[in-house]
This record gives sequence, structure tokens and C-alpha cells, in this order.
Amino acid sequence: MQSTDSLRAKTEFIAEYATRLMGSGVHTSRVVRNSKRIGDALNIEVRISAFQKVVILTAVDRTTRETLTEVADVPSCPISFELNAELSALSWDACDLHLPLGELRRRYAAAVAAPAMDGLFVLILAGFANASFCRLFGGDMTAMCIVFSATLIGLFIKQRMQAAAINHYITFIVASFAASMYASVGLVFDSPSSEVAIATSVLFLIPGVPLINGVIDIVEGHVLNGAARLVAAVLLIVCIAIGLSATLMIVKNNLL
Amino acid sequence: MIVWDILSDGLFAAIAATGFGAVSDPPLRALPSIAALAAVGHALRFCLMQYFGADIATASLFASVAIGMCSLFAGARIRCPMTVLFIPALLPMVPGMYAYRTVFSIIMVLQSLGDHAAAEEYMQATLLNGFVTCSVVFMLAAGAAVPIFLFRTKAHSMTRSKRK
Repeated sequence: MQSTDSLRAKTEFIAEYATRLMGSGVHTSRVVRNSKRIGDALNIEVRISAFQKVVILTAVDRTTRETLTEVADVPSCPISFELNAELSALSWDACDLHLPLGELRRRYAAAVAAPAMDGLFVLILAGFANASFCRLFGGDMTAMCIVFSATLIGLFIKQRMQAAAINHYITFIVASFAASMYASVGLVFDSPSSEVAIATSVLFLIPGVPLINGVIDIVEGHVLNGAARLVAAVLLIVCIAIGLSATLMIVKNNLL
Repeated sequence: MIVWDILSDGLFAAIAATGFGAVSDPPLRALPSIAALAAVGHALRFCLMQYFGADIATASLFASVAIGMCSLFAGARIRCPMTVLFIPALLPMVPGMYAYRTVFSIIMVLQSLGDHAAAEEYMQATLLNGFVTCSVVFMLAAGAAVPIFLFRTKAHSMTRSKRK
């Protein structure tokens, strides 16, 4: 059964590709489009339905009309725009250069194995980012410095806890509490924008990617997936709010 | 002075977008474009709100459409999907202060249950701030997606290499 084996290999690759994209924070219509494009390049027709946790796809061999259905779990991996860009480019290369399956697998493995940005570099960039954010909301220099260091502490805690594979809700609550509690030292300095500092100190945690992907999915007609993404994002925002609330409960008398 | 205000607004938005983008592991070649898009978008929103009296949701819509359009051209140049560029660029426009005030008011509602008038006031603040936060986030995402609908073919082939 030569043809069945080759169809199986192709289908498994496409399933792995699609689930990886879903896990890396790519909006649904792109996952569907890219997977179909790779299928076209390999001379199979792909019919796919993608969900938050699982991808179901049926592949039809164009010559033999054989079909194969695959149900694959979506891995939980960090959001990666790099993979989004590289794997999308891979689908076009497959289509334009008619790459064989072996070459596709090799390039896919290379893209997935590429190292993520250095943690320390991200930490410092995020610190400056949140300090600028504070400035945009009208914070003064003191507030900016406080937010910079609060972000370093909060994000460092988040990175460590994620590396230790601790539940992400707990991670978000702890990171948000630590960052906002640290930022409330501004109250000691009696700085006029200390409230801005507390408010912005937790904003580096906002799950912007699922939030925006969710709305994109909904306006593109993938309403179920969009709603699922938004619910997931809202839950994380609730966790940020819980951590922030704990701080506010402690210091609120100074804010009123 | 006005020019300085606009420029500094754009500059800080650019730094914010680069840093928040870095958390989501973007391709390095995309960072300059992300910064430029964020600067254009945020400065545009600043101008609309400051000098033309637009409200924050409308101004965000215009700014996000502008970011979406620019990402269409920038993305084709560096072989990046539009979303890779515009999602980080939109992040500095997330209405953080409104979100914060929503949380703060919720706590204050629960803390002042005994005092009816105060609780009502905080409840109102919760609704108002929460509503503004949600509308702005929706406008941001939907506005940036508009160019995808207008230029479907181009938007879907950003990562295609030039025909040989």
C-alpha cells in the first residue's frame, strides 16, 4: 500500500503544521488557508476544522481519491510571531517551488528549532516599553522609573514561573500582584502620578495577541474560535485584576 | 510645541510597541516596521483626540485602519504576515487607564456596599470605564482587519517570495 503510506505521511505533516500554528497564536483563517495551500502543493485536498484545543482534518488524494482523517491535539506553546511568519512563508514556498515532503519537513524542523529571543533582552525591552506606556498615560519621570523596575520584577517572576510550568492563572495573579505592589512605593514619594504608575505596572501582562486574534476570528466568521480566544483572554485579564485588587485593597486608603 | 508633543507621543508609542512585541517573539526584521507603525498610529490618535475633538473609540478606529493599511505595505516588503506587524503596533493603544479604573471601581463598589450613594457612583464608574475599554479594544482589532477585507489577495500573499 505505497499510496496509503505516502498519504498518511503527508496528512501527519499537515496536522502537525496546523496544530503548531494554532498553538503559536495564529488566527484561524490563516491556519486553514496555509494548511490547504500545503495540501495543494502535495497534490492532496485538505478539509480542515480548527478549534482551540484540537484540529480535525481530512485529506483526499487527488489521483487515487483515497481519504484519511486525522485528529490532532493543539500543543500549548508560547506565542511566536516568528513561527507565524516563517511557517506562512513555508506554505508559499511549498506551493511555488513544489517542494517535496522531505524538504518541507526539514524546513519545518529548522523553523521550529530556531531559538526564541533571549529572555534578558525581552525583559529589558519590556521594561522600557512599559515605562513609555506610563508616559503615554501622563506619568512623570518618577512614575516611569518605578514602572520600569516594577515591570522587570513582574516579568521576571512570570518568566520563572512559566519555566517551572506553574499554572498560568496563578502565574498571572502572582506577577500582577508583585508588579503593582512594587509600583505602590510611588505613594511613599508622594508623587502626583503614583496612581498612573500602579495602573500601568501590570499592563505588560495584558494578553493582547489572543484579544486581537479573537476579534479578527469573529469578524472573519470563525465565531466559535474567536469567542474561545476572547474568553481565554478575559480569564487572564481577570487574573491580572485579582492581583491588582490585592494591592489596591492594601493601599487604597492612600489613593482616595 | 505642538510638533514636539506629537513627535514625543509617537516616539514613546514606538518604544512601547517594540517592547510589548518582543514578549511574543517577533522576527527581528519586523521590529523597525512595528515601531514605525505604532508611532504613526498612536500619533494619529493623539492628534485626532487633542486637536479635532474626536472621542477615544473613533480616534482608535481611524488609527487602527491607518496601521492596518501601512502594515499591508510594510509586510510585503519584509515578507511578514500583516498580523505579525499590526498586533504589536496596536498594543500601545490598549486603553490601560480605563481598564484600571474599571477594576478599581469594582473593588470600591464591593467595599462600599453599606453606603448606597457611594456604591451607586462606583457602579456607574465601573460601567462607563468598562464600556469604553471594550469598545476601544474592539475598534482597534476590527479597524486593523479592514485592509485584509479590502485587499484580500494581497493581504493573503504577504509571505510569498517574489516570482522567479
